[in-house]
Amino acid sequence: MNKESYMQREQRALQKLINFRLPRTFMTIGLLLAVVAVVFMFFRTTLFGEDSEIIKSSLQKVLLVGMLLMSISRDREEDEMTIQLRMQSYAWAFITGVIYALVMPYVEFGVSSVLNADNETFTNLGDFQVLVFMLLVQLMCYHTLKRYR
Amino acid sequence: MQNRIKIERAILNITQDELAKRIGVSRQTINSIEANRYVPSTVLALKLSEVFGKPVNEFFSLSEDD
Repeated sequence: MNKESYMQREQRALQKLINFRLPRTFMTIGLLLAVVAVVFMFFRTTLFGEDSEIIKSSLQKVLLVGMLLMSISRDREEDEMTIQLRMQSYAWAFITGVIYALVMPYVEFGVSSVLNADNETFTNLGDFQVLVFMLLVQLMCYHTLKRYR
Repeated sequence: MQNRIKIERAILNITQDELAKRIGVSRQTINSIEANRYVPSTVLALKLSEVFGKPVNEFFSLSEDD
């Protein structure tokens, strides 16, 4: 195999990966998973008691999977403009995610030291918090851009 | 970039929806192109050229800020 054909093949594979979308039905499945996870998160302690950390982390993962499915599922009318809007929304989600991860611990620290001045310690954000924020920004950004196109 | 898509569409007497279906995009995409909110790819521009039966530079032109 010569160098050019290898590069072309690699480029095609990469393009295929970039353009990969799940079928439209995954949008509904993702939404359903996310809603179920949020509802269970609200009633977790009532349903499973105080000692339910495993259920909490499982629900967090279900929420992330649901939102991810929503994020990568195909649109009803997918064309080059929606692909561009999707890419813009991922860029915004990435940028705001990094800013959120940098700034939010200080905001949380500031707010909680005002409310509870005695023994407040500085803590970094968890991966769940950052990922949910990024997925939320991506979905909101994409659907807003699509509405105003 | 400026365009004359709306005029060309009027000459052919077709709606945004019909044009969208002919070139395989959504009606909103045609609307955005006509309103200069979106610059289409070369592939899409060539598809439009095929529908209008004219070269691309007859309905797309560069503006001063390009």
